[in-house]
Amino acid sequence: MYSQQQGQQQQHAGGVMQDKDMLFTILTDLKRTVGEYTTATTEAACPMVRQMFMELQNHSLRMQGDLYNFMQQNNMYTKPQPALKQAIDKQIQQVQQNHQQMDQFVQQQLNGGGQSLSFLAHTQAQATQHTNSGKNPYYM
Amino acid sequence: MHNMMHHQPLSGKELDYISDSISNEDLLVKQCAVAAHNSSNPAVQQLCTQMLREHHQHIQMLTQSLQHHQSIAPYQIQ
Repeated sequence: MYSQQQGQQQQHAGGVMQDKDMLFTILTDLKRTVGEYTTATTEAACPMVRQMFMELQNHSLRMQGDLYNFMQQNNMYTKPQPALKQAIDKQIQQVQQNHQQMDQFVQQQLNGGGQSLSFLAHTQAQATQHTNSGKNPYYM
Repeated sequence: MHNMMHHQPLSGKELDYISDSISNEDLLVKQCAVAAHNSSNPAVQQLCTQMLREHHQHIQMLTQSLQHHQSIAPYQIQ
């Protein structure tokens, strides 16, 4: 049981919550719809239908982004916690290991490791630049 | 390339996706209408009214696509 004053406060808080809840429901459905448009695009055989689904997907994605921005600006959506640097470092390390295995696999498949794969070297150069490690040139 | 962009008969799958998409958009139109109607915040009202219009346009696009394919749909599977 609430006193009248508490009841009014509840009602007010309820009003703010309502907007947030309603917009959150719309946001969730927009996300689902974007996903379905993506699937529909990949499944379309008629070029016109494919084109339509692509446009609808693009447009829905833009609306979802606009709604998300609105909610965040109005404190209706808590910004996700940032990932810690250690977690990103670990991922980069993992990617580099996988990349090495992938390169070895590709080289084995394509030419038994004889020829250098310049396009892979280029990709690796970019990756190295991004991670700023400056070493680990594991093929060459 | 232009020939490629001509309508081809809809596949059963495409019809299902268009139908599901219309249901999705229909639900979004209704949700936007409820939100616009129930909110006391003018910014929310404006945003939801705008989104409502856009979802409505999506339904029109999907419906038009059905209509375009209506005339080239076969009566029976050959």
